[in-house]
Amino acid sequence: MDSKIKRIYIPMTESGFYILFCLQQPQHGYGISQRVRQITGGELIISAGTMYGTLSKMEKDGLIAFAHEEEKRKLYQITELGKEVLDTEMKRIERLYKNSKGEEIHA
Amino acid sequence: MHNRKKEVRFFTIADYEEEEAWLHDRHSQGWKLVKMTPPCFYVFEKCAPADVTYRLDYKNNTQTSDYFQMFQDYGWEYVGSCVGWLYFRKPKSQLDSECDGEIFSDPASKIQMIDHVIKTRLLPILIIFLCCILPNSVSSVETGSTLTTVLTVVLTLLTLLYLYLIVYCGLKLRKLRDKYRKE
Repeated sequence: MDSKIKRIYIPMTESGFYILFCLQQPQHGYGISQRVRQITGGELIISAGTMYGTLSKMEKDGLIAFAHEEEKRKLYQITELGKEVLDTEMKRIERLYKNSKGEEIHA
Repeated sequence: MHNRKKEVRFFTIADYEEEEAWLHDRHSQGWKLVKMTPPCFYVFEKCAPADVTYRLDYKNNTQTSDYFQMFQDYGWEYVGSCVGWLYFRKPKSQLDSECDGEIFSDPASKIQMIDHVIKTRLLPILIIFLCCILPNSVSSVETGSTLTTVLTVVLTLLTLLYLYLIVYCGLKLRKLRDKYRKE
C-alpha cells in the first residue's frame, strides 16, 4: 500500500468503511445502502450523491473494481488493495475497541 | 399552453441552496419545475400543491450511465440539467428518515461538490477575467476618445459587474465550505 492510499483511507470515514466492507460480495450502490442501513439498525444512511462519489473515487484509487452490470446498475467488488485497506482498518478498530474497554494489548 | 408558465430568476453558482428552497416553494404553490434554460429561465407546469424536496448536484457532465439509475433507486426523480447542474426531486411523503431527503449524507461529499464547482466554474471565469476582460477594459480607458466614451462606460460597468460576481461567488462558496466542515 503506497503512502497516498494510506493518507486518504486510513483512518476511513464510517460510510467509507461500510461501503468497502459490503463490497466483499459484488453489489451495486443502492444495494450497499440498504445493507448498511440494515446492519447498523438504521443508524447510518448513505445518500445517493455520497454513494456515487465514494464508489467513483474508490474505483479510481483501485480499492474496488467494476464486476458486472445488472439492469443498468453497476456492481462493484473489492480488490486486493481494497482488502489490504479494509484489513488494516479492522485491526485499527479492534485495537481501538479493546483499549476503550480497558483490555491490554501485547505486542 | 395556459397551464405552463415561464419565470425568470437568476441564481449564481453559489446560490444552489436558495434555488432548491425556491423550487420547493413553487411546488408547494402548485407549480412544478419542467425544465431550465440557461442562464435564468424556468418553465413550470400547474400541478397539485405538494411538499416536494428539490436537490441540485453538480457533475459538469462527468456522470456515467449508472448515475441516474442510482438516484432513481434512491427514489429521486430526475427533472433535468442546466450547465453542469442536475436537478432532482422527491416528495416529502416518500421520506422515511431525515437523511432520506438529502443527496449528500456527509460533509466530505458536500465539500467535494463545492471544490468541483470552484475548479471547473469559478477558476475558468477568474482566468478569463484576468486575461481578457480586465486588459481590454484598461486599454479602452487609456485610449478613450469622445467617440468611444460611451463604449468605455459600458465596458467598465460590465467589468465591475463581472468582478462583483466573482467576489460574491468566491466568498459565498468559501462560507458554505466552512459551514459544511463544522457539521
